[in-house]
Amino acid sequence: MLNQLVDLLARQRDGMSLSEISRALNAQPSAVQSMIELLVRKGKLIEIGPDGKACANCGMVSDCNLLAAHGKRYLPAPVFLDEEIRLTPPSA
Amino acid sequence: MNISQPSFKLDYGGKIEREIEKLISAFDECNFDTGRYPRRWLALKLLEADEDVLVRVQAAPNGQKILSVAQTGSKHLQDMLGDEVDMLAADRRYGFINGVVRQALQRPRLDRITLTDRIDDIVTHKWLGLPVFFAVMYVVFRLVIDVSSPFLDWTDAVINGPLANWIRLLLDLVPLPAWIHSLVIDGIVAGVGGVLVFVPGLLILYFFLALLEDSGYMSRAAFVMDRFMRVVGLHGKSFIPMILGFGCAVPAIYATRTIASRRDRVLTSLLVPLMSCSARLPVYVVFGLAFFGSRAGTVIWAMYALGILVAMLAGMVFTRTILKPDASSAFVLELPPYRQPSMKSVLIHMWENTREFVRKAGTMILLASVLMWFLLNLPWGVADQRDSYFGKVSGAISPVFAPLGFGNWETGGALVTGFMAKEIVVSTMSQIYLNDLEAEESAPTTFVEDLPGIVRGFGEAFISSGRIFLSIIPGVDLVMDETEVEDTVLSIALRERFTPLSAVSMLVFVLLYVPCVATLGAIKQEFGASWAVTSAVYQTVVAWVAAFLIYRAGLLLGFA
Repeated sequence: MLNQLVDLLARQRDGMSLSEISRALNAQPSAVQSMIELLVRKGKLIEIGPDGKACANCGMVSDCNLLAAHGKRYLPAPVFLDEEIRLTPPSA
Repeated sequence: MNISQPSFKLDYGGKIEREIEKLISAFDECNFDTGRYPRRWLALKLLEADEDVLVRVQAAPNGQKILSVAQTGSKHLQDMLGDEVDMLAADRRYGFINGVVRQALQRPRLDRITLTDRIDDIVTHKWLGLPVFFAVMYVVFRLVIDVSSPFLDWTDAVINGPLANWIRLLLDLVPLPAWIHSLVIDGIVAGVGGVLVFVPGLLILYFFLALLEDSGYMSRAAFVMDRFMRVVGLHGKSFIPMILGFGCAVPAIYATRTIASRRDRVLTSLLVPLMSCSARLPVYVVFGLAFFGSRAGTVIWAMYALGILVAMLAGMVFTRTILKPDASSAFVLELPPYRQPSMKSVLIHMWENTREFVRKAGTMILLASVLMWFLLNLPWGVADQRDSYFGKVSGAISPVFAPLGFGNWETGGALVTGFMAKEIVVSTMSQIYLNDLEAEESAPTTFVEDLPGIVRGFGEAFISSGRIFLSIIPGVDLVMDETEVEDTVLSIALRERFTPLSAVSMLVFVLLYVPCVATLGAIKQEFGASWAVTSAVYQTVVAWVAAFLIYRAGLLLGFA
């Protein structure tokens, strides 16, 4: 199941939300939630806000209205890191 | 002491199972007492490198030997299977659970994309959300003006026609001095009646706002605007009082109590009066219909949008000057699913809000109308209102408004009286201008004679409004030429003193200038007199500058 979930996300460039993952895996969101939590804890997935930015990098995590309305999205960690490297200016 | 082993054993696959067996054997070989923990469970946890279990085993006799075996097995598995053991074990567990659930439970797919999801994808979209919000508000205000205009004409005709005649007839039955007749007809009927004319418009406005609220869209509007407000340095919770401010600023000021930070509360209270409250609507409608006819809805919508825009700009200025931000607190906004509005709830909402407006007309506006009548007729027996106390004071301040395009004494006076409540701008103008005009000679009529005409007029207004409303449907055009907005006496008087450009300037000034006395009272009560004075001064300055810029820019561009 976990590999299936990571494989699924690897095919989604913009990540997926909990409800989208649940639909794709045909599983209840409550069941998928604990899998996602484990994968995030293990560093396999990264949480991003609906605007595509990493929640962990933002001071507003608990204060974010976007998250309150739309929830987090998830990406496999390596994909996200590639994006970050590309977005970082050379001088930074 | 070992507790009884569970009869069910989840198969973790050959490789992991072999390492589990090796560890269980090691427990025996090393005389390791697993205590109250099941041996298989403990072996698996050691392979998973569970931190708590590792600590406990390390502290137990012969624990180091067991840890060594577990680490070797764990590394071996990771090398072979390419992942950590805890991940592999969790994968097996979730796979098993999923299989059991699928076999044991049949349920409809609850997590399909709902209609709410589809609508929210558009109305709360990062870029589309704001244009959708303004488009919705535009349609609402067009509907309010277009659909209510036949009823506004009907109410105006009834109040200034049969109702005024009946009151005259009743007054004639009692031997009263002429000035009391004038006070009632020229003061109270003109003043209070001039405001009550807009009750149908407010009923329809509140009807549509209640529809939006009950359907769940207003939460989305708050959400969309909240994101926008954060961009300009405002607190996320601020938009909820601001939405209330579209009804009345006073409850909106008190609603800021939900905001934790005092700085955010003060800032929100300074911006709330810039939202167009329902008291300003009569002013917008009077000027809109007098100068812009069928485009009145667009003008009114523009006033609402301008109020929001100026609030955003003012928020940015305050945030960077006297109200610098402190640590923000959490804001969680619940977006309920869309639902079909309940007609009963919509009608109750519509009536409760309009009743408040009518109550104010029966108290504050009535009082103001009586006071205005005296001020317009003192010193006693003054022939020209310009020479009255009111006329002289208004004449003295009117030069302040001359650069804005409306330097006449009547407007200056009406704006001063608007400090009590914004609707009073209209009631004052009604009193001044309607007194100036020759009263139409009409034969006295009785209630019984007038009643059929009133009922017929209502029926015609109802049909016209229905046609206009149905014409919203693309391809349906039921609006006929005879449903054109009729000129009221006040409209004619206003066109003699304003140009379309100076009318816009006037509307902008009314939108932005000093909040009414009740709003300032609420700000004083919540934050002290200094903030109430700040609110009054900054809004008046902003209003003057904005109206000046609009008027002068309009002149430069060749508008009259």
